[in-house]
Amino acid sequence: MTEITEQNKVSEKFVPKPSLPPPPNTTGAIGWLRYNLFDGFLSSCLTVLSLIAIGFMCVNFYEWAFAKAVLEAANRQECRITPTEFGTCWAGVKFWFTRFIYGRYTDTEIWRVNFAAIILILWMIPVWLPRVTAKLNIALSGVLIFPFLAGYMFLGGDRNWFMEIMVSVALGCFITVMIHSLLCLFTGAGISRWIIQLTGFSSRSERLHKFPVIMFAVIIFLLSLFLINDVAFKEMPNNLWGGLFLTLVISGIGIASALPAGILLALGRRSKMTVIRVLCVAFIELFRSVPLITILFMATTMFPLFLPEGFHINKLASAIVAVCLFAAAYMAEVVRGGLQAIPKGQYEAAEAVGLTYWQSMGFIVMPQALKYMIPNIVSNFMGLFKDTTLVSIIGLYDLLGMINAVSQDPSWIGLHHEPLFTAAVIFFIGCFAMSKYSQYLERNLGAGHGR
Amino acid sequence: MSGNTPSSSRGVNAVINDERYRSIFYQVVVFGLFIWAVLSLIENTQINMATRKMAVGFDFLKNTAGFAVAWTPLDYKPSDSYLMVYWVGIINTLILAGISIVLATFLGFIVGILRLSKNWLVAQIASWYVEVLRNTPLLLQIIFWYLGAFANLPRPKQSIEILGFESLVLNNRGLYIPKPQPEDLFWLTALALLVAVLIAIVLNKRATRKQQQTGKYISTLVPTLLVVFGLPLVVFVLTGMPLDWEIPALKGFNYRGGGFVLPAMLAVMVALVIYHSAYAAEMVRAGILSVSKGQTEAASSLGLKQSFVMRLVIIPQAMRAIVPPMISLWMNVVKNSSLAIAIGFPDLVSVFMQTSLNQSGHAVEIVALVMAFYMTVSLTISACLNVYNKKIQLTER
Repeated sequence: MTEITEQNKVSEKFVPKPSLPPPPNTTGAIGWLRYNLFDGFLSSCLTVLSLIAIGFMCVNFYEWAFAKAVLEAANRQECRITPTEFGTCWAGVKFWFTRFIYGRYTDTEIWRVNFAAIILILWMIPVWLPRVTAKLNIALSGVLIFPFLAGYMFLGGDRNWFMEIMVSVALGCFITVMIHSLLCLFTGAGISRWIIQLTGFSSRSERLHKFPVIMFAVIIFLLSLFLINDVAFKEMPNNLWGGLFLTLVISGIGIASALPAGILLALGRRSKMTVIRVLCVAFIELFRSVPLITILFMATTMFPLFLPEGFHINKLASAIVAVCLFAAAYMAEVVRGGLQAIPKGQYEAAEAVGLTYWQSMGFIVMPQALKYMIPNIVSNFMGLFKDTTLVSIIGLYDLLGMINAVSQDPSWIGLHHEPLFTAAVIFFIGCFAMSKYSQYLERNLGAGHGR
Repeated sequence: MSGNTPSSSRGVNAVINDERYRSIFYQVVVFGLFIWAVLSLIENTQINMATRKMAVGFDFLKNTAGFAVAWTPLDYKPSDSYLMVYWVGIINTLILAGISIVLATFLGFIVGILRLSKNWLVAQIASWYVEVLRNTPLLLQIIFWYLGAFANLPRPKQSIEILGFESLVLNNRGLYIPKPQPEDLFWLTALALLVAVLIAIVLNKRATRKQQQTGKYISTLVPTLLVVFGLPLVVFVLTGMPLDWEIPALKGFNYRGGGFVLPAMLAVMVALVIYHSAYAAEMVRAGILSVSKGQTEAASSLGLKQSFVMRLVIIPQAMRAIVPPMISLWMNVVKNSSLAIAIGFPDLVSVFMQTSLNQSGHAVEIVALVMAFYMTVSLTISACLNVYNKKIQLTER
């Protein structure tokens, strides 16, 4: 009997029951809450505590930022909400906001700063557009040649022959970069190919192709020389520079000079030549082991003593030199880290193909090392951007210096918190964007999985 | 080497193209340039100092400083010398940095572990804590803490009594705490503590050796605690409790007696601790994540208890990734404590590089002395780091 029933069972076709839905409290919003917020007694306690803390902070922040806000006032005394209590004086921030951004730069000349900023942005945008070719040249020209244009726009005054040439070269470069990027975007071919085609040189031999391009460059240079001939800006001495503008100028120059200087120092530190290695190690260790503020004090007190007679260096220039030295030493260590991540086989392979030292570094090692270094380089830049606030201690009016100055203005005396909050927000946005961008690069370049 | 014969010109070429000779040539050139630069800098400096009638040399260190320092544990009077000011600055910097390092590391460990919490809300709060603090300048945070919290404290008459203690008060002159006053026989207690620590170390060593030999685990936690706390306590009671507390009391407009800490010091300390704890948290998180999950699973499959998995397998490996960056973070705390100058705490940079330099005008000497101090600290720390790195490298396969 039993055998027969078992055989019957086997011959029946097996139909699985449909699976039950998961218990309702493990899916959807409730499941998420259970798993992530109330997973056990300790977790629930932490959640409740965190909620209380968040609620407390939100209520206090709302009271401070909104409930007590005073939006219209002509001076600090008008910011009182009761005779004894000051409200949150956003009116003060509104009143001083231009100063926080541009320092004591004359109002009618502020457009020059904005104009230079827009030129820089336009100059750098093509680097991020996939269709544009010759990105390295665009980026290099932006870093090396743009500062002359920006320097003149910020400083104004008379131009000597050198500035005349450099400013027109910069303007010419800018025009070329713009035409080149637009051509690349819409036609897919770069500017040099267009020039060669339009001048009919495309049928000639390749050796002659450079002539129409050089001609074009000369024409553009003469054109921009002609363009700036009548332009003259009012002189704005650099003690008027200030605010976020000055912060960006100092950190921008620091960033732009740190990478090349850091690469050279790092290569020097790994060099086989003893003298060069010892000098590089000494420089790096000296500037990395002392605080930036001591370097800034050294710059303001000792640089004037170092110069030959008849030369003068102003405070801003010494601060910039100090920041550059500091940034170069830190960047050198970042680059060294990247160089160490490159396997020795790469160096040996480059040597075996017969490349010289600079060729093997430039074409084989650095391109790979830079990829590893990008996250660290960006966080280094971030640090430099934040550290630039230290120049306020030696008496420059950067963003933080402006805020200190405002709090001592007779009619706004004691206005601290609101400007500080504004500055914190500005710095946070800048640094947060940079750090997110570096994380994005890290993911995209796959450098995070390198080792 | 002279002449135009082909063989000798080939010899010249061989010398020019030989890497060794070229490297020597480059080094000589670089060294020459360096010497020239240094000599011309020295010459310029001498000329400039002569025209400005500035004296050279470290003799000024013996001169009377003549200014008061707002806070120092040392016995400093305005009539002391500049050398004394240097020591005052160093001690103040080291105290500020030392306390900040301990607290920042501790807080960093807590936040780092919270960032890895399975609780979503807690992890989010911890990660925003890190983001906000790391993305704003430290100087701004110091000024914010000072002006936002510690400059608005009440006057001495309306002091805040912390936890209800009358002897622990906070007001706009600072934080007042009872000051221990050791009496004659207190050194015996200190000695007892030293002996107790030595005994504890020996105990732990023996327990470890026994475990390695026999495999038997002996818990040393209770005996260690008993010895370290018990022995000094017994000696302290036996010698008749030779410790007195000097309690701050309100006299007139201010508190007198006891120990006190400037509001500026509190502000800069809170800022340093919180700012660096964010960095420490990231290091702890990265360190724990760097231990692969296979290690946890392997340890569990050996039958280790959950607490042992963490203590014996995960943490020792995580420490290898945490300690080196943590030590350079400590170096950063020492360096960043110099920002205390922004709110007037008398640290080394503030008393020596600013006040003393402005008074005496000896820029070169003072800058050199200050840099020498910071370099000594960082080179010492990085030497320790190298020793540690060597040690953990040996334990690797």
